[in-house]
Amino acid sequence: MKLRKLMAIMLAGTMVFGLTACGGSGSGSSSGSNSNADSGSASSEAAAGDEGASDDESASGDTASAAGEKLVVWTLAKDLETFAEHYMESHPDVAIETVVIEPANYVTKVQTALNGGQKEPDIIVGEPQMLEDFYDAGYFEDLNQAPYNAQDYADQIVDYVWEVGQDADGIQRAISYQITPAGIYYRRDIAQEVFGTEDPDEIGKLFADYPTILDTAQKLKSKGYRIFASDAEISYFSGDSAWVIDGVLNVDQGRYDYQDLCVSLYQDDLTAYANQWSTPWYQAMAGEVPILSADIQNYADDSVNVWDAEQFAEATEGMDKTEVFAFGLPSWGVLTMRDNVQDTSGKWGVCAGPAYGFGGGTFIGISSQSERKDLAWDFLKFCTLDEETSNWWIEVSEGDTVSLIPVLEAHAEDPNSVYGGQQLYKFWLEQAKGIDYSKVTRYDKAIGDAWASATTSIKTGEKTKEEALAEFYDVIESTYPEITVNR
Amino acid sequence: MAKTSAVKTKKRDINRIAYLFVLPFIIVFLVFSVYPVLRTFYLSFMNYKGYGDPTWAGLDNYVRVVKDKFFWRDLLNTIKIWGVNIILQLGLAFLLTVIFSDIKYKIRGLAVFRAVYYLPNLIAATSVAFLFKTLLDWKYGSFNQILMGLGITQQQVNWLGSTATAPYVISVLGAWMWFGNSFIMLMAGVQGIPKDYFEAAAIDGAGRWKVFAKITLPLLRPIMLYVFVTSLIGGLQLFDLPFLMNGAAPGTAGEPAGSLQTVVMYLYKFGFETHQVGYASAIAYTLFFIILIVSIIQFKTIGKEED
Repeated sequence: MKLRKLMAIMLAGTMVFGLTACGGSGSGSSSGSNSNADSGSASSEAAAGDEGASDDESASGDTASAAGEKLVVWTLAKDLETFAEHYMESHPDVAIETVVIEPANYVTKVQTALNGGQKEPDIIVGEPQMLEDFYDAGYFEDLNQAPYNAQDYADQIVDYVWEVGQDADGIQRAISYQITPAGIYYRRDIAQEVFGTEDPDEIGKLFADYPTILDTAQKLKSKGYRIFASDAEISYFSGDSAWVIDGVLNVDQGRYDYQDLCVSLYQDDLTAYANQWSTPWYQAMAGEVPILSADIQNYADDSVNVWDAEQFAEATEGMDKTEVFAFGLPSWGVLTMRDNVQDTSGKWGVCAGPAYGFGGGTFIGISSQSERKDLAWDFLKFCTLDEETSNWWIEVSEGDTVSLIPVLEAHAEDPNSVYGGQQLYKFWLEQAKGIDYSKVTRYDKAIGDAWASATTSIKTGEKTKEEALAEFYDVIESTYPEITVNR
Repeated sequence: MAKTSAVKTKKRDINRIAYLFVLPFIIVFLVFSVYPVLRTFYLSFMNYKGYGDPTWAGLDNYVRVVKDKFFWRDLLNTIKIWGVNIILQLGLAFLLTVIFSDIKYKIRGLAVFRAVYYLPNLIAATSVAFLFKTLLDWKYGSFNQILMGLGITQQQVNWLGSTATAPYVISVLGAWMWFGNSFIMLMAGVQGIPKDYFEAAAIDGAGRWKVFAKITLPLLRPIMLYVFVTSLIGGLQLFDLPFLMNGAAPGTAGEPAGSLQTVVMYLYKFGFETHQVGYASAIAYTLFFIILIVSIIQFKTIGKEED
C-alpha cells in the first residue's frame, strides 16, 4: 500500500514537473529569441533597484512590467532589434523583447494573438500591403489622439510614408523610419564606354519608357554587355494605377507594356538569365558573370545550381561571360549593393526609372490592446521621429534612407563612395516626392504573383498570351470573387 | 442492508474516479478536436477575414466551391496522386501478405520484417520530403546519377520539375511510407482466418492460387476495405509531401504548372495567405462531404458483394 502511495506521489510529481517545465520553456523561448531581452531584463532589475524602491522584492520582473518597464516588439526584419538595443542603451530601466517573425507567418501570428485578446505584443509592424487589413481589424492604436498627437509631426516625415501609415479615415496608425523609393542602379564605367556619358540625368533618359529600355538593352548587348541580370528589374516601377479600382480589376497599359518588356528581354537574350536573389544575380553586382540559358533561369534545366556559389562556379566554368549594366531596386538596395559590389565599388550610379516606384518598408504601430502604450509610444517616437536616432541609423546601417525630412535634408549633400560620390539622399528625397501611394491595395501580393506567373508562362512559350491572360483572369476570379473581372 | 448500500456507494465512487481518469483526454478532445470541427462548420457559412465579427454568408461559400474550377482541378490532382499511391501501396502489401501467409513457404522472422516494413512510417514527413528532394535533385541527386551510371537513362530526369513525373513521385513516396502499415493490417487479417480452412483446402488438393482466390481474398475483404477507406481519407487530405517538396513559399506552391497543388494546399492558400477563413472552411467541409460520400459508397458496394 505504501509503495502504491509512493508511486502515486512520484507520478503526480512528475506530471506537475512536466507542466511547470512546459510553462518555463514557453517564456524561455520567447525571450530566448533575442538576447536583448535577457540583458535588458537584467539591467531593468538593476535599475529598478537603483531607483530606491522601498522594498527589495518589488524590484522583480512583476513590478517592472506593471510599471511599464518591459516592451514586447513583434517585427518582420532585424532592423528593430538594432533599434531596441540602441534604445535600451539610453533607457537602462527598460527591457525590450524583440521577436522577429517571417513575413509569410507574420499576419497569421498577429491575428491569432490579438483576436485572442492578448496584451502583448505592445508594438506591431506591417509592410504596406498588410496594413489595410490591420487597420480594418483595429489592431493599431489611433495615434492622432492624446497623448500621442501624431498629427503634430506630419510635416517631419516624407509625405507618402505618412500617408501609408493612415487608415481609410485618415487616422494615423503607423509610422515608418525609412523611405523606399525605387531607382536604377547602373555601372558608370559601362555607361561611359557604351553611351559616352555617366551622368545620372542622361542615363535616366535611357530608362525613360519601355521601348527606350529595349533600345538601351540592344545597344548594350551589341557591346557584349547585358542590361540587367534578371528580367524582373523594372517590376518596382510597373503599373500606372492600382490593380483594383472600385472593386474592378484594372490591368492598365503600363502592366501590359511591362509584360511585353519582360517577354522581349527574355526571348531576345537581353539579360544574363539570373533570377533575382539567386547567386549569379548577386555576383553580377561585383563584375563578370556567366550568361545562363533561359532554361536554367526557368529551372527547366537544373544543371546549374544557382543557389550555391561553389557548385555554380563549377557548373558554369566554360560558359560565355558578360557584365551586367543595371539593377532596379528600392533605396534599401544600397545595403544589398554595399555587401556585394566588391571591386566595382565606386563605379556605380543611381538614376530614375521609367516611373516613380517604391518597394516595402516597415511601418511601426502600437497594439490597441497593449497595456504599456506610453512606453510603446516613446519607443515608436524614438525609432521614427527622433533626429538623433535617424542620424545614428544612417551611420549604423551604412546608408539606409530614413523618413525624417530634417535628417534627410541634413544628409542631402553626403557623398556615397560606392556611387562615385553621388549624393544619394538628395536623389531619394526627390524620388519619394513622386510616389503615388493610392496605387497600393490589399490585393497587390496575390494579383502581382498571378501576373508574374502569367508573364513567365508567356515568355517561356509555355502558353500563348491569350491562354496566359485567360488563366490570370480565372485565378483572380476564383481568389477574389468580390473583384469584378472585365475580360 | 446497510452493508450492501456501503458497498454500492464505494462502487459508485470508483466509477466516479474512473471519469476523473478519462477527464484529461475528454478535455483535450473537446478543445482541440470537437470545438475546431464545429467552429469550422459554423465559419463555412460565414464571411470571415480572420478578424472582426464574421458575417452571415449562407450557402455562398459552398456555391463558390462548386463553381471554382481550381478546386476541382486540385481535387483531380489529389485523386491522381492518391490513386497511383493506393494501387502501389495495397499491391505491395498484398503481395507481401500472400508470401508471408503461405503455409508452404513458412517464412520465419515475421516480426522483424513487419518492423522493418513499418519503419518508413516512423520518419516525419518533413524529413522524408527533404531526404527525397535531395536524392531526386536533377543534377546532384544520387538517384539520377545511379540511373545514368547504369546506363538506364542518358539524360537526367527532372523528377520534381516535370508535370509528367512530379505527382507520381509523391505517389510512390506515399506508398513507400504506408505499405508497412497496410501490410500489418492485412497480415492481422490473414492470421484471423482459422487455419482449418487452409488445411481443409490442402487436404482437398486445392492449388495455391485457388486457396488465395477462394479463401484468403474473400475473408480479407473487410480488412482491405478498412485499409482502402482509411487510405482514401488520408490521401484526399494530402498536404505535407507536395507542399514541402515543391517550394513551400506562397505563390510557388503546387508547381510545376499546379500539378502538385492538392485540395488542402488550396485550402491553405485561402486560410493562411489571402485570409478568407469562411471560404477555406467551406473547402474543408466540401472535402469532408466528398470523403463521406465516397466512403459510404465503398462500404455499400463492397458490403453488398459480401452478402
